[in-house]
Amino acid sequence: MIKLQNVCKNFGKTTVLDDISLEIVQGTCSVLSGVSGSGKSTLLSILGAIMKPSSGLVEVDGLNIVSLNDFYLSKYRGDSIGFVTQAFHLFDELDVRDNVVVPLLLSDFSQKEIQQKVDTAMGIASIEHKAQSKVTTLSGGEKQRCMIARALVNNPKIILCDEPTANLDKENSLKFIQIIKELKESGKTIMIATHDPLISELEWIDNIINITEGKIE
Amino acid sequence: MLNKEYINFLALLLFKYRAKHFWILFISSLLVAILSSFLFVSSSIKKDVDLTLSSQSDFIVQKYRAGKVEDTPLEWVDEFNEINGVESATPRVYGMHFYEPSESYFMIVGIDFFDKSTLKSLQKVFDNLDVADFLSKDNMIIGSGVQELFDYYEYKGNYNFRPPDRSIKKVFIYDEFPKQTQIITNDMVVMDIHLAREILGLSENQVTDIAIEVANPLELQTVKTKLVVSHFNMRIISKEDISKLYENLFNYKGGVFLALYILSLITFLLILYQRYTTVIYSDAKEIAILRMTGFKISDVIYLKLAENFIIAVSSYMLGVIMAYIYVYIFNAPLIKEIFLGFNNLKNSVVFAPTIDVSMLVLIFLIFVIPFMLVVLVPVWRIAISESYEVMR
Repeated sequence: MIKLQNVCKNFGKTTVLDDISLEIVQGTCSVLSGVSGSGKSTLLSILGAIMKPSSGLVEVDGLNIVSLNDFYLSKYRGDSIGFVTQAFHLFDELDVRDNVVVPLLLSDFSQKEIQQKVDTAMGIASIEHKAQSKVTTLSGGEKQRCMIARALVNNPKIILCDEPTANLDKENSLKFIQIIKELKESGKTIMIATHDPLISELEWIDNIINITEGKIE
Repeated sequence: MLNKEYINFLALLLFKYRAKHFWILFISSLLVAILSSFLFVSSSIKKDVDLTLSSQSDFIVQKYRAGKVEDTPLEWVDEFNEINGVESATPRVYGMHFYEPSESYFMIVGIDFFDKSTLKSLQKVFDNLDVADFLSKDNMIIGSGVQELFDYYEYKGNYNFRPPDRSIKKVFIYDEFPKQTQIITNDMVVMDIHLAREILGLSENQVTDIAIEVANPLELQTVKTKLVVSHFNMRIISKEDISKLYENLFNYKGGVFLALYILSLITFLLILYQRYTTVIYSDAKEIAILRMTGFKISDVIYLKLAENFIIAVSSYMLGVIMAYIYVYIFNAPLIKEIFLGFNNLKNSVVFAPTIDVSMLVLIFLIFVIPFMLVVLVPVWRIAISESYEVMR
């Protein structure tokens, strides 16, 4: 269960999120919709613990992540969160396999376990055939699937996607949607910030949260 | 505990992003090589000077009048030999010989080969010097610079000096000073004192200075005090004074060099700091990805520490090896001239390999610690900031 209570985020005098309160049930897929600059990505960043709110409470399974120090926040990000972002945030000079393994670098898993996890994640994201390909040689859709594999390799409970289809053509967007659907079915909690109608009009989406000027409508 | 994947990832970061690291590695190695070369050269010179000075007399006494050196009275020799603690007082003559073809000077030093302590000192440099053979005809021992000139002008085995009386004095080359003593003996010509007098146009009663040996090193100061009070118109130069003179000379040159080096090191470190502070997008992105995937601030610092430590240590090792080759195989062109100069004869000194562990540690500390600091401080600043902006 994810619970946000009176969350505000200010950048100087600009209020980006204004008194946001919502609850997300585990295993659901929610879409954050709204125009650019409405605060969708900021909300995802707060949920992903890569940004702290100016005020308010963010609880994940009863744990207030706002009050955590760097040690526990990093553990939370590593164990519970998988990020898929609009820009392809990958190590461009490395191959797909070496990018996917990054979240496991500090783990205590054996070499064999790590390889199994990487193979599984690449399988789910349908990118295993490009495991040895350098990121710079991949298409946009393949880069996206590489990010998904990396987001899944630690088997996180929550997947946060920020404009995941913004740089994809329709065919790749549909592939992405299919993967997300399967993840939802496997019990992952998914939050997607997007204004792509392809996603927001899907019938299996559980919640659509409209954000306008930092407020939930 | 670090797993194999971590090591592999670190190696990949270094190898796959080698273009990014290459210039840092190149400039760093160059700077370490310059610093190491300077320290290798000064260390070798110091060793050579120490070796040469070990064969010098404990004191040299010269007569002074109105601030100028003049001939030292011969009777002072007997007087000094009477002083308790003095092992021997030996007259010496020396003077400059102008060699017209190259417009340079040789320093002719005449010594008394029958004096035991003088002989002992000389034998510290020449193990198997046969005095009887040496004195069997007009012989001389010459420095490497003089030998090079003789070779260049094709003097085979002997050289004709022209004393002031317009005669010709043929002197045979008996031996050459060892290369290790070249710092001091480069332009030196050592011969029997009588022959030296003849060539320099000095009478039998004239001596330039007196070399004094003291048997017990603990009595050096006492003997010096006795010498000082014996005459007020003389100067006493101790072995230590000569050593300090050379040390000051080389330290001064080394100091100027070191100042220039530090200036260039600081410039490089500032550039490096600037590079990491005005973070290139890819660096910030790397750190943001690591943070996003669960790396703590300390994990990011450790990874960057390991990455840059490998670069710094590689630069250090590469730099030291380059310096070793430059100094001990190529004989330090340019730097040698800065240290030795071209005052008289060109000094073609050959530096003997001298590796001092404390010196290597010093180079490591001077270079690696500032390097790591200028890289890690900006990395830490990025790591503590929110990754949000980069992830957009």
